[in-house]
Amino acid sequence: MTLEKIVKRIPVSLFAVASEKLTDVILESRNADKMPSDLAKPILHHWQKDQLSTEAGLQLLLEASVAVDLEKTIVVMEGLGLAEIATMLREIKQLGKT
Amino acid sequence: MVEFGIEFVPRDLYWRTTFYAIQAEKRGFNYLWITDHFNNRNVYVSLATVAAYTDRIRFGPGVTNPYMVHPVVTAQAVASLDEIAPGRVVCGLGAGDKTTLEMLDVQQSKPLSAIREAIQIIRGIVHGGSLELKGDVFKISGAKLSFRAANPIPIFIGAQGPKMLMLAAEIGDGVLINASHPKDVEDALVHIGEGAKKAEKKLRELEVGVYTSFSVAEKVDKAVKAVVPVVAYIVAGCPDVVLERHGISKEKASMIKDAIVQGKWKEAFSQVTPEMVEAFSICGTPDACVEKVNQLTKLGATQIVIGSPIGPNIRESINVIADEISPHFKKS
Repeated sequence: MTLEKIVKRIPVSLFAVASEKLTDVILESRNADKMPSDLAKPILHHWQKDQLSTEAGLQLLLEASVAVDLEKTIVVMEGLGLAEIATMLREIKQLGKT
Repeated sequence: MVEFGIEFVPRDLYWRTTFYAIQAEKRGFNYLWITDHFNNRNVYVSLATVAAYTDRIRFGPGVTNPYMVHPVVTAQAVASLDEIAPGRVVCGLGAGDKTTLEMLDVQQSKPLSAIREAIQIIRGIVHGGSLELKGDVFKISGAKLSFRAANPIPIFIGAQGPKMLMLAAEIGDGVLINASHPKDVEDALVHIGEGAKKAEKKLRELEVGVYTSFSVAEKVDKAVKAVVPVVAYIVAGCPDVVLERHGISKEKASMIKDAIVQGKWKEAFSQVTPEMVEAFSICGTPDACVEKVNQLTKLGATQIVIGSPIGPNIRESINVIADEISPHFKKS
């Protein structure tokens, strides 16, 4: 299950709050240096254009959040009531790949 | 009405600094200043990134100095930035941070002449002119950029001591008063007034920025914890006359400075007292910060620079400032 497909399972009504929470994970992560620059740049571009709460923006944030702190990302999804997504992310963790 | 600026120290990952820069713009900040110290990410690399990812906020080095960066390079850099973000570039210039310059054995020789000549150089070439200068500090012979800044680039001079404050008012487009406490700002304004008078300028022609150390949080202890490291650096580099004004002993300041120079951060920070925090920062709850900012604006500040650390959580603190502090001072 790719992150692109995972994002499609997030209800549109939760895009804004999910975007906020994943942004917090990324900004507050102690492993923020794991964010690749070629992921940081499109995130900044989407932020500049107020597009972090779109499907495309959320996909970027999810990819970044998983890269810097998969465990916290799982917690965010659980907190949003997205248990299915949290399970998918756990499977990613177990497989050791995204 | 007063404008709000914000300072970022590029110690952080570039994309985090840029994220906060975008946030600051969205939340209505008017100016963005990036500090210039050799041990952090390069100021102009940081500013170029800010230029690319923002649309309206004015930005510039806050502040660079003519000892580490030759003024022709500063002119080159700000002119280059103007090409990326036309009309949005400002240039903050000062004598530099004593503590970090001393680490490199860089001497702050003839600071008044250095700043005066640096401004001559920057203004002389940034818009395409050619310059000859036989100064006390700099000698230039026919220097000219191959391009030019198409827009005015206001120069703000960072100052703390009386003579530099006077000079800043005399020759700068703006002054950045390196202070947080009303006592220091009140004293600074006397010298700024003298400098303006010398240049036959009206004070209202001058931008007067108060470049504070700032830390806001709903819980006071969290705000204080965040600001202590910054206050330690301020105390370490503080002129004796300012220490005396606030009843802070030179010996204590010296101990903090020695610890910093030796890299003993914990020791340095443990010696910062509540009196030092009160003297050298705006720190506390949103209401407490509003009260302190109010005192500064009543004295005549036209810009409040929200300097490091901003707060224990930068993203949250930017929002708190935009929601609970700056609205008190902006026209509705």
